[in-house]
Amino acid sequence: MTSPKFKLVSWVAQIIAVLIMGQTLFFKFTAAPESVQLFTELNMEPHGRLIIGALELIACILLIIPSSIVYGALLGSSLMAGAIIGHVTELGWQGDRLELGIYAIVVLTCCISTIMIRRRELPLLKVIHSDKPTKRGRRK
Amino acid sequence: MSTKLSINLHKLARFTNTAIPVLALLFFVGGWQISFYFHFLTVPFLGLTFLNTYYLLGQRNHSLLRNFGILGQGRYLLESLGPELRQYLYSGDTEERPFNRTERREVYRKANNIDSAASFGSQNDFDATEIKLRHSLFPISKEHVLPYQMAFGEERGIQNAYTLTVPFIISGMSYGALGQRAIRSLARGIAQTGGLMNTGEGGYPKYHLMEKCDLAFQIGTAKFGVRNEDGTLNEPLLADLAAKEQVKMIELKLSQGAKPGKGGMLPKEKITAEIAELRGVPMGRDVVSPTHHSECEDYPSAVAFIRRIQDVSQLPVGIKLCIGDPRQFAELVSEMKRQDSFPDWITIDGAEGGTGAAPKAFIDRVGMPLFPALKSAQDILLASGARQRLKLVASGKLINPGSQIIAFCLGADAIATARGFMLSIGCIQAMQCGSNTCPVGITTHHPRLERGIIIEDKALRVANYVHSLEHDLEELLCSTGARSVKDLSFDNLYVPNESTLYPFANHN
Repeated sequence: MTSPKFKLVSWVAQIIAVLIMGQTLFFKFTAAPESVQLFTELNMEPHGRLIIGALELIACILLIIPSSIVYGALLGSSLMAGAIIGHVTELGWQGDRLELGIYAIVVLTCCISTIMIRRRELPLLKVIHSDKPTKRGRRK
Repeated sequence: MSTKLSINLHKLARFTNTAIPVLALLFFVGGWQISFYFHFLTVPFLGLTFLNTYYLLGQRNHSLLRNFGILGQGRYLLESLGPELRQYLYSGDTEERPFNRTERREVYRKANNIDSAASFGSQNDFDATEIKLRHSLFPISKEHVLPYQMAFGEERGIQNAYTLTVPFIISGMSYGALGQRAIRSLARGIAQTGGLMNTGEGGYPKYHLMEKCDLAFQIGTAKFGVRNEDGTLNEPLLADLAAKEQVKMIELKLSQGAKPGKGGMLPKEKITAEIAELRGVPMGRDVVSPTHHSECEDYPSAVAFIRRIQDVSQLPVGIKLCIGDPRQFAELVSEMKRQDSFPDWITIDGAEGGTGAAPKAFIDRVGMPLFPALKSAQDILLASGARQRLKLVASGKLINPGSQIIAFCLGADAIATARGFMLSIGCIQAMQCGSNTCPVGITTHHPRLERGIIIEDKALRVANYVHSLEHDLEELLCSTGARSVKDLSFDNLYVPNESTLYPFANHN
């Protein structure tokens, strides 16, 4: 079991990620000029903006439902990795782009921390982590 | 010259390990130069690249993953599905252990009141290992079979003697081993038949008591529910329990077939706050009972302890044990004679008996199997003249009428089975009783899994199972010409030369 202390850290990370991702949704879904500008540069306007907005919304929801946190963190970190790739290849880091890029890095960090803390909940890794050690001593 | 093709898994793994990062790179270039949408592929493949790198270079536990990376997981994934695939698809009907599909299906059909007639012929071997019942040339009709009645405690002439009217006892399963809904289903079902349920060694039988069935309270080596701090018997607590209307008998568990010489085990996964309270144990740690009762150090003290429980409880008191050496059992019986003090019954548990959790070596290798143990016990009791002072109960894989009738022939007065009743309420033999993950909600305390059990419905199946067993027992009795199980004897058995009973058989 994940210890309560780590659980708390995970929840703090999740909430930071949800708050940052959540507030950008407003700009994406209302077609705010800054957002439209970004996605025009990426050549994804308008469908990409809506698809990514929808995926971010799903990630936010998954991140706060206890049984799906780890999946939300996976989706969130994938989206943020995409965002960072965007900054690296197309958008750059000038002006308020720097702020947006840093936000993406923060969310990515939060999501990855959540995954690390909750790695036992990942379906593929269950096999490795599920067997319980004997009482004679913990396996390394 | 022909060319044959086969999949080279080593090369496939190496190819995959190269292909994943290359594809990630290609998608990245595509996203950069062609369309940003390519990055929907870049990101997952980057993730796979990181994961694969961790498998190949980071982790040190698994050689297979270190050598072959992500494809190596395929082995673990497929292997983890093995038990299910074998049970669903690949194992033959008479192959699985402990119960094969034919045996399980018979219980399911009985529990659902479906006719269990088979067609064309038996699937069993008719070779040198199968014991058969010798029927009579002149079977009797059902009207001549006497109703089953077995009065426990009558030999001592006690006031609270208990008359068992259903020969099939639900063997000891505690709240702890089973979840509350399973316990209540069993209790409600057996109450409908007027039968008896053993509480198991799990302390105060809160959920067993809820459904108004007759109970035998079991005292294990840890004496949950009736213990002092130092693990000795707390007499006032026992007297209190014994005074309850529903508690009809007390069973002192000396040993158990699945782990004789070892105390009961409750893995920490299954210890809830309530269970910890009912048993008086801490949470978060496996609970392992002592190997023996501190009051039972040798033959005289063991017999004296049985009498003490009889005196305190004022109820019929039995002992449950798995026989290791019949000579020790004989010694125990002669000590009973010396002190002129007998338990009211003895449950002989075969080494094939079930359990929620026991070390594999104990499950597989320790103790005598039921049939030879039961036969030895019966012979010893008859030879010493002690047989008419007590009853004999048999347990250990006796889930079907065919095996139950053999136990009756070997001297049993009643049958106790736990797994038979578990199967009747929907056990699918997933073999996860110790991990709190029972998929049908029987041996778990997880509310989401227990949800599957509808008590009213399962209780009905328990009653159906009992009634079907009674029906089959009656028909088998008719075939032998015996009017009750007391008329059966070893002579009613055909024992082939590779059976464990063969040494006892009269070979002429």
